[in-house]
Amino acid sequence: MFVSLNDAISLIQEDKILHIAADETLLNQLPKGKWIAGTTPYFITEQGGITCKDKLFVSEITCAVDYKTVVYEKSNIFDITKDAYPNGMTILIMPFASDVAVFYAKEAPNSDDLLMNPTVGWISGYDLSTNSKAKVYEGTTGICYDDKAVALHICLSDDKMASLGIVNIFNTDENDVKIEFIEDSLSVTKCFANGKEVILSDYIVENKIDTHLPLVADYNSVLVNVSIKSISEKNKMVDFYAPVFAGKEYRFARSVSNYEASFNERLQGFKDVKPIFSCNCILNYLYGELDGKITPPFTGPVTFGEIAYQLLNQTLVYAEIISK
Amino acid sequence: MLYYVRSGNYSMDLDLTFEKLIKKQAKYESTVLGLNLLISRLQKKYSINQSPEELQICLQEMKAFFEKFGSILEKDMEALKKL
Repeated sequence: MFVSLNDAISLIQEDKILHIAADETLLNQLPKGKWIAGTTPYFITEQGGITCKDKLFVSEITCAVDYKTVVYEKSNIFDITKDAYPNGMTILIMPFASDVAVFYAKEAPNSDDLLMNPTVGWISGYDLSTNSKAKVYEGTTGICYDDKAVALHICLSDDKMASLGIVNIFNTDENDVKIEFIEDSLSVTKCFANGKEVILSDYIVENKIDTHLPLVADYNSVLVNVSIKSISEKNKMVDFYAPVFAGKEYRFARSVSNYEASFNERLQGFKDVKPIFSCNCILNYLYGELDGKITPPFTGPVTFGEIAYQLLNQTLVYAEIISK
Repeated sequence: MLYYVRSGNYSMDLDLTFEKLIKKQAKYESTVLGLNLLISRLQKKYSINQSPEELQICLQEMKAFFEKFGSILEKDMEALKKL
């Protein structure tokens, strides 16, 4: 729900377990309590997408029979699997461009335990028209961090289970050029295009590839995007918002003629979902001009990266609680 | 080594099916995000080290996943049984 500062304070004072997203000026005014939060001024509400610094997006976690909040850094981020409840779910928030977020992005797909513990979350951000810094908040202390991750571990009753899902509007064509990389990296110069070594930045320019389109890899039918952050023609460097991985085959996504229509079409299959948490990517928000647009049944923060076990880009992520 | 996955009122031997999936000798796409990511991860893991020991580790991971999330994987187990 999208609420005023006073309403958010009331919910905290009522001892509710909360996940909160808002601008830091609001988060700084919250009392201590059972909550975690991350910064963003962008949201998809039931009334549509909005940039707003005077309201907070609050998700009340009513399904939790127990909870704990934990702060992590790069050295212990994968302790989240040890700290998670045997039957539960973890909501994880990490600041954009922080060491912990970068480390998590590269290592999560290799974690042996992560898929055993439903982990959903997002990368906190900031108003792109400012020079702000992304932050996360741990509510029991009220402390904010720009270099640490914060997790809300939720324990569910024995008859319930968490289920995570994603909505990705992008597709690939198997006949398109296959892009492969020799190492796991957030920045690359060279890659292989259909087996031939090329400079990726040159390849993108020469082939007039729309850099709003992500590289997409197939994880056993799950399409995982890697979005392009920037291209330096001078340094021949392509930077990504999430790592590319050696051993995976990528293809540039097919172009999307109408983002909103594509989203709506894709969302038809999710009408019955009752998410307790969802978030959508800032790149979908910007490129798709989602300001004022709705994405039912999903509402939530607009984020600088999405987490459904591993870091995702240009993807809507959600969690729901289902009966066993 | 054989093991059994129990769900509801039936049990079945999925050992061979899991092995085929890990070795990419069979293909199965689930609607469960976590299962698809697991299959993909184990396929990659095994492709890097195709030893019997690694296969057993991968099989144990798959088994553990089905044991923990069996209640939401009943459709998958039915489908895998026919694979």
